[in-house]
Amino acid sequence: MTAVVARPSSVDLEPSLGAQTWEMSKRAIIALARQPALVVPSLVFPLFFLALGSSSFARAINLPGFPEVDSYLDFGVAGAIMQGVLFGSVTGAAALATDIENGFFDRLIASPVARPSIIVGRLAGAMAFGAAQTVFFLVVLLPFGLNVEGGVLGGLVLVASGTLISLCVGALMSMMALRTGSSEAVQGAFPLLFILLFFSSAFFPRQTMQGVYGDLAGYNPVSYIIEGMRDIVIDGVSAWAVVRAVLIPAALCVFTVLLAMRSMNKRLARG
Amino acid sequence: MSIDSTTRTTKSGSGHKPRSVAFTALWPSSVGLGMRNVRNIRRLPSAFLPSLLMPIIQAVAFSGTFFAVTQIPGFPTDRSINWYLPLGVILGCGFAGIGVGFTTVRDIESGFYDRLRMTPVPRLALITGPTLGALIRALVVTTTVFLVGLLIGARLTDGMLGLLMLYVASLGVATLGTFWGLALAYRFRDMRGAAIMQLTFFLALFLSDAQTPLSVMEGWLHGVARVNPFTNILRLGRQGFLGDVTWANTWGGLVAIAAICALTLWFAVASLNRLRD
Repeated sequence: MTAVVARPSSVDLEPSLGAQTWEMSKRAIIALARQPALVVPSLVFPLFFLALGSSSFARAINLPGFPEVDSYLDFGVAGAIMQGVLFGSVTGAAALATDIENGFFDRLIASPVARPSIIVGRLAGAMAFGAAQTVFFLVVLLPFGLNVEGGVLGGLVLVASGTLISLCVGALMSMMALRTGSSEAVQGAFPLLFILLFFSSAFFPRQTMQGVYGDLAGYNPVSYIIEGMRDIVIDGVSAWAVVRAVLIPAALCVFTVLLAMRSMNKRLARG
Repeated sequence: MSIDSTTRTTKSGSGHKPRSVAFTALWPSSVGLGMRNVRNIRRLPSAFLPSLLMPIIQAVAFSGTFFAVTQIPGFPTDRSINWYLPLGVILGCGFAGIGVGFTTVRDIESGFYDRLRMTPVPRLALITGPTLGALIRALVVTTTVFLVGLLIGARLTDGMLGLLMLYVASLGVATLGTFWGLALAYRFRDMRGAAIMQLTFFLALFLSDAQTPLSVMEGWLHGVARVNPFTNILRLGRQGFLGDVTWANTWGGLVAIAAICALTLWFAVASLNRLRD
């Protein structure tokens, strides 16, 4: 005789991995929306710097090495998107570190929530913010004379690029959050991102740089992503521009997400 | 309670008080508080290092990124580092001053400041002491960033007089940064003030000829930078890297530093007097 034991209804109602991830993503997005003080700087500062640059470097676009471009605004928008997304990605990862610091992460681990959804949810929040930032920059700058030669399709490619960059950097910063468990350490990565941004062609073309500085900008993948985005703004959508603006960050994402998942597993193994 | 009333109260009731308490003077109190600020460099290097590293990174990054900007007709130097080094120094010294505001917020939050205000230290020493500390920090920042700048190609065009002008500008900015940081720390008493200190200083500095000279600018920034006193301060500090030191390039910066220091000192004293238990 075989006894049939009914499973508790709570187990039957356990949400799927997708549903759990969605809930975690929603939490990450709502947390960002509820703390404007953390979000606003990564929206305002890139615009401020671009406004400064448009006035300060208006005559620089005629220098040898600059592409043919109508204004510094068109030239600099790709750098502004990169700047905003880089600095915005730190915010999401710092929130993960705060979860670890205040014990919420441990309570999540103690609950029957699927482990990947914790990190994937957080990264999805970062991606949503990256996409929103890119749309925000484009919408705000259009009335000031921004001309995206790639049109709507070009705008969509830029949003895809911004989303992937935020995933890439968000995963990298999440790895740091999981390893250190310190929001201060994550915030401390800010100078690293500053260097990554400034030692690239974010604000001036690589062709105008010389010596070691030019070499470093040449090794920096950020330069190529920005140049792909810039080509979409200045010249329109092309296969080569899409490869640099979308495929390079996509390839980097594979690497950084794997690193983040590995750090997550290590933290879980440590208990 | 005014600044003088603390001192008067102490003196009037000093019949049986130890001499050292009854006659605590401004200068030794200031030196004591200033040295406490300097000792924090060793005790809390993580709070000081950013104000030292940031101007170095900024000067290197700007001079490298905007290397070609010197080719714009009318640009006053052919070395980008000569243009961006003084900016880095002044930015770093401003943040060295504002850092005093951060420390004060922490002291207020931890209750240390209340204990400090109960001592017979003249009230003014609570401002002049940290300012002395900030000036020492600013000397370290200016010297270090200048030496790094020399290594990567910066050159003085009017010898030691030009360097002296850089020190005058940087110490002036450190002083006004300290007064501003202290005033906001007394007003807000928490880290909200820290964000405002940084943001306002950053905006004031970059809404000037920080990135390119007025003659090269176009559009809205030109109008703002022309009336921004920080343009004069930068001109004062930069002149020794762009040509000869002249009185025409000097007096505007001195007046700007004196005026902003007077205003921010008044604001700091008024805010300190409003600080109640």
